[in-house]
Amino acid sequence: MEPGLTMNQALAEAARCLLCYDAPCAAGCPASTAPDVFIRKLRFRNLKGAAKVIKERNIMGGACAIVCPTASLCAQGCTAAGLDEPIRIGELQRFIVEHAWQMGFNPLRTAAPNGLKVAIVGAGPAGLACAAELAKAGFAAVVFEKRSAAGGMLQYGIPNHRMSRAFIERELEDIRALGVEFRFGSAVETQTDVDRLRADGFAAVFVATGAWQCATLNVDHRDGTGLVDGMTFLLRAKDRPDEVGAELAGREVLVVGGGDTAMDAAVTAQRAGARDVSIVYRRSFSEMPGSASEKELALRAGIHFVILTQPVDYVITDGKVTGARVVRTRLGAPDKSGRRRPEDLPDTEHTVAADLIIEAIGLTPDPSIRKLDALTIGDGERIVVNEAQRASADLPLYAGGDAVRGPSLVVKAVRDGKAAAAAIIKELGQ
Amino acid sequence: MTRYKRLETTFLGVKFENPVMLSSSPVSNTGEMVGRSFDAGFGGVVFKTIGAGKEKIIHPGPRMAGYNYHADRLVGLQNVEQISDRPMKDNFADLAYLKKNWPTKVIVSSIMGFTRQEWRDLAKASEDVGADMLELNFSCPHMTVEGSGMKVSHAQALVGEFTAEVKNATSLPVLAKLTPNITDITETAKFAKDGGADGFTAINTVQALSGIGLDDYTPRPNVAGKGAMSGYSGPAVKPIGLRCIAQLAQAENLGLPLSGCGGIENWIDAVEYLLVGSGTLQITTGVIHYGYRIIEDILEGMDFYLEERGVERLSDIVGKALPNIVPTDQFDLASQGVANYDLDRCIGCGQCYVICQDAGGQCLSWEDTSRRPVMHEDRCLGCMICSFVCPVATPPMIEYRVVPGKPEILPPVSR
Repeated sequence: MEPGLTMNQALAEAARCLLCYDAPCAAGCPASTAPDVFIRKLRFRNLKGAAKVIKERNIMGGACAIVCPTASLCAQGCTAAGLDEPIRIGELQRFIVEHAWQMGFNPLRTAAPNGLKVAIVGAGPAGLACAAELAKAGFAAVVFEKRSAAGGMLQYGIPNHRMSRAFIERELEDIRALGVEFRFGSAVETQTDVDRLRADGFAAVFVATGAWQCATLNVDHRDGTGLVDGMTFLLRAKDRPDEVGAELAGREVLVVGGGDTAMDAAVTAQRAGARDVSIVYRRSFSEMPGSASEKELALRAGIHFVILTQPVDYVITDGKVTGARVVRTRLGAPDKSGRRRPEDLPDTEHTVAADLIIEAIGLTPDPSIRKLDALTIGDGERIVVNEAQRASADLPLYAGGDAVRGPSLVVKAVRDGKAAAAAIIKELGQ
Repeated sequence: MTRYKRLETTFLGVKFENPVMLSSSPVSNTGEMVGRSFDAGFGGVVFKTIGAGKEKIIHPGPRMAGYNYHADRLVGLQNVEQISDRPMKDNFADLAYLKKNWPTKVIVSSIMGFTRQEWRDLAKASEDVGADMLELNFSCPHMTVEGSGMKVSHAQALVGEFTAEVKNATSLPVLAKLTPNITDITETAKFAKDGGADGFTAINTVQALSGIGLDDYTPRPNVAGKGAMSGYSGPAVKPIGLRCIAQLAQAENLGLPLSGCGGIENWIDAVEYLLVGSGTLQITTGVIHYGYRIIEDILEGMDFYLEERGVERLSDIVGKALPNIVPTDQFDLASQGVANYDLDRCIGCGQCYVICQDAGGQCLSWEDTSRRPVMHEDRCLGCMICSFVCPVATPPMIEYRVVPGKPEILPPVSR
């Protein structure tokens, strides 16, 4: 993980801010982190006040500062771009959060306990945000997480070169300091589980189980060698870097997909020692859904971008994937996503050899979510909620994050968690 | 090193190849240093002030502190530097070395005596080693030796007496260096003139407290737990320096040449000092910030400026601004105007709206969807504060426009 800005760099960047009236950056943050306010506070050397704004409004303010695609959020409307370039809002946010950590300043306070318990299912950004908001309001917030650590995708999916485990642990410490209770290895998967929580006195339940199911082009070979899904690869690289490094040294890796997971997997493979890493993507560079900063990072890392190329199948030799059969494409008319549809070019099929193929072609919520009878499941296995994150007409059941949106942003998960907490507080009459 | 014909000048009868000197300070502390400044292009030096050596000079540690504005470093510089702590004979040897090796450069010996005899001795010794001119330091605001520096200026009669001593002892032209830390700088100057001074240098540093430690309650620089109201210099004091030079230039009872200093770091600063009446210029803080190399662009920039305006000799622009510097009661109050907005170039930050509401005439409204200010000229005071904060500044998006017959604008009673 690269070091953040120094104090002088941060002050110089804050001095570029135009301190806009009705600042567009504020409207660009899904979690209402108020960049206009925290940059102004930094500008006037109120560093504690700046940290207070960030942490009170966005309990994942540190993580968001690093993983947010700011170019399409807060920084998108930045008026400083009219002079030269947008303010580096994410980097300022990270500086402020880390500075407060270094100073040992924690601005968060909790209200007196109100005797009410709420269960949060899933310790990812949505669940954590909901739990933190409830804890601040005096609720007993208990997070049930089937894995062994909190943080969700930040813990298991974001590679170390973007965010270290120490960083996410420090952010979690702020949440634990609010009195949020974690129960690891505790899955809440069925309607019976939920009913038991209700019987145990939990007044409401927030479901934020995320989207961890990786799509694949070849269901038959999913468990074979030479083919791995992006999430599994990233987690192994985080947990067993030496093992992954030994496997990849001098090898050729193909990453299929164009999102942030594909970028993360490609850069991670490269840093682990792979000789050549290629991203294969069926549309053009600009249509890749990955954020601009992640794409740039991959480019700078020396990843090969094999664009306008559609994998059609994998080559399997002796039970092991040894390459991909691909065709060249060209862009036709826009499809319903608004992006131009790739069309196969005839007579272009050829084979690309690879020692490892990493599939990063999309994530969905786990279909087992259907075991929660009270929920309505819509397209892409996503939980259907109303505008207040309510997921059931009858039960005090709420949902948010990737389980509702499909694979999305940490900052939007935080938004959902906050919104659900606000609705729960309102419903329970606090 | 480029020579510029237009920048040659004569000051107090001494020929300068260009008018820019190092001022008396750490930047002119040794012959070796000054020699390099000459090679870089400086036209002369006012050497670090020499005392007679009877009082031991010890520099406080630390002796300086920078004053920053946001990320801009050294907007000002606070110092408790003393006069030279080197043996007197070493300093005079260095003056001789400089004169011998750089004969076309002007060597000004800055001196500070603590008695009449010392003033005489220092003046004579300077002349003996070949100095072209003397500068009398009546103005250091933080001498640790009682009765010296600025304290002389506050006992104004002494300024005249010491100047007369020096004039009687030597035939060299004499500059009196004046402090701005006095109600009227021209009063001290008059005493120096009556004592025989040939010109003035202004300004010495402005007495200031540039910062107080929040943890130790101590001014900067913090000298072993104490600080002092001491000399402040650099770009932050340029407006005060220009004002003092203009006052000296306009005083009818003076009429002597001026050497201007205070915050000069580029050719624009230099030209401004010339326009208010300086015949030569001196620099320290600019060198402390950037090194001797700044002289290259000061000289070249001044030369381009003179060329552009068809001016053949630098002395032709000295004092050009003085007729336009008047007391406010001589203003033409019939001329009024408004802030004129070129909204095609607006980037929509809204700072103009914020400050017009809180500090101006409330003549702007704000268009939310387009993110643009809307000007209601009938309420515009023409105060122009909006143009000061507008980031679209090169060229300015907001400019003053004279409105003939503009009615008086008076805010209504608040309700």
